[in-house]
Amino acid sequence: MKIAGIEYPALAPVEAACHRARIAENRIVAEGIMRLTLECADLARALEPGQFVNVAVGGEPRQLARIPLSFVATQAQEGLVHIVYALLGPGTRRLARILEGEELDVLGPLGHGWRLDEGAARVLLVSGGTGTVPVYAAAVWCHRHGIAFDAVVGARHRELHWAVDRLRERTSGDVVVTTDDGSLGERGFATGPALRLMGERAYDLVLACGPEPLMQTVSARATELGIPCQVSMERTMACGFGACSTCAVKTTGGMKGACKAGPVFDAREVIW
Amino acid sequence: MSEATMPAMAVDLGGIKMGNPINTASGTYGQGWQFEGFYDVGLLGAITTKGCSAEPWEGNPQPRMTDVFGGMMNSVGLQNPGVRSFVEECGEYLAHLQERGCQVICQVAGHSVGEYVRAVELFEELAPWAAGLEINISCPNIAQGGCAMGSTPEGASEVIAAVRPRTKRPLLVKMAPERVVEVARALEAAGADALTVINSIPAMAIDVHTRRSKLSRPTGGLSGPVLHNIALRMVWEAHRAVSLPICGVGGITSGEDAAEFILAGATAVSVGSQNLFEPASAPRILDELVDWVASQGVRDVNELIGAVEC
Ligand SMILES: Cc1cc2nc3c(=O)[nH]c(=O)nc-3n(C[C@H](O)[C@H](O)[C@H](O)COP(=O)(O)O)c2cc1C
Ligand code: FES
Repeated sequence: MKIAGIEYPALAPVEAACHRARIAENRIVAEGIMRLTLECADLARALEPGQFVNVAVGGEPRQLARIPLSFVATQAQEGLVHIVYALLGPGTRRLARILEGEELDVLGPLGHGWRLDEGAARVLLVSGGTGTVPVYAAAVWCHRHGIAFDAVVGARHRELHWAVDRLRERTSGDVVVTTDDGSLGERGFATGPALRLMGERAYDLVLACGPEPLMQTVSARATELGIPCQVSMERTMACGFGACSTCAVKTTGGMKGACKAGPVFDAREVIW
Repeated sequence: MSEATMPAMAVDLGGIKMGNPINTASGTYGQGWQFEGFYDVGLLGAITTKGCSAEPWEGNPQPRMTDVFGGMMNSVGLQNPGVRSFVEECGEYLAHLQERGCQVICQVAGHSVGEYVRAVELFEELAPWAAGLEINISCPNIAQGGCAMGSTPEGASEVIAAVRPRTKRPLLVKMAPERVVEVARALEAAGADALTVINSIPAMAIDVHTRRSKLSRPTGGLSGPVLHNIALRMVWEAHRAVSLPICGVGGITSGEDAAEFILAGATAVSVGSQNLFEPASAPRILDELVDWVASQGVRDVNELIGAVEC
């Protein structure tokens, strides 16, 4: 981007804008989990899997910063962005009360998403908790490009599993489910089945998002096996466009912002 | 607004000649260029860059930010690449920004008097374009230096007396929200040219389920609207205590908030956290401030500095 007519090779301001997006849908899909559909042609066209938007909720004094939200899918033709978010605090609870038909101030597109390769033959997707949202966007991409994937999806208990059936519809591969309490699928974290699958099958890409111990273990094993692996790092963020350093991730190339260099990083780059 | 009714907005912040009173608070504005995709940064009176030390600092572990009532808390801990890399990366841009009419104030950080001196020397050598240097003696998020030095008149004047002889450029001091009157007097005596009042306030937030701090450290810096009226009181006190120009900082979200600071005695104001929440807030606040000045029936914003009637 040129700044006042001059190109500065080392500097890249985000090419994002604040959009007024109408809420087409904002409803519960699982316990404490909401699906939010926004009407915004620009964002629907521009967003790439693994990127995110930063939503201003307004009217909640405990949430003045924007809320970073990942999306599960976009429909470019229809101009729709589908977001899934968990009710985690005053900000997301306020967002859940905003009615369909109202408008939101949405900053985006933000961040660097998954580096997806159309040549991949078999992909492993691993997620835990809300990490399933950006991973789901990668699943949609794989499905659209005819790439088979296996997925391991973890959640605390069965009521939180909103993605499983939809993922199964999108792949000929396996979708392994785990719950911390054993109420659905295998008991435990997604880590166990993910390591097992990596031992059994040949993957040419592993993507992971979830709690850091999960991502760390999965990326260590992938690196041992020589499989390219990417992780999406969750950070609390005050801005989302590189101005505050609250979202820093320690990498082999120094401190980098999860909001701009990330949230997706090459696993070998992250210093845990 | 027609040319005829447009009030004069230029101010002089201790030798820094600003086209208008709007500045940006260090740490909430990157190095300026991050905002160029949202608006023309050259419209602002000044910007203040992120605190920068002689050597690179990694900053604090995660998490570094949490939302709280009326604002946010951070514990970034002055993560910065060091003066050399800072200038390499964005020196050319900042020099051009200065030519575009926006004054570039570079913030200086250190853990000790020696480190502040070293950083000022590096800025002198590598950043001749900077309009002024702001010495940060008030960061609540580092173990040594920062807050610890800026909270007492002795500590504050020791730092400023040491860096003063190293630069002829305007020297601002970012003050802690502690003993403001005494520290302001000490800084005036030590040779500061202007005061930036105030930095974020040391504060705490606890996750009651995990019983842990919501930040990686027990405490962090509180910023945002919740600070505004405290900062306003401190600007007013400092203005009555010293004759130095003051830059008011704390919870500015509108032209009206900025106007309050000017009436309390501030020559300029810095937009802080609002830059992060609303990327194009600074030019909006400038427009609102111009409207307010015009509404007061004065021709020049300088007539309103300290004009509160108590
Ligand atoms: C994320 C963040 C980083 C900050 N970093 C610095 C810094 O490097 N140096 C400094 O003097 N103040 C720093 N501050 C404090 C601000 O400059 C400002 O004094 C404070 O936020 C109060 O203003 P506000 O309420 O408008 O945000 C930082 C504040 C925030 C929110
Ligand atoms: S959230 Fe502000 S720099 Fe990443």
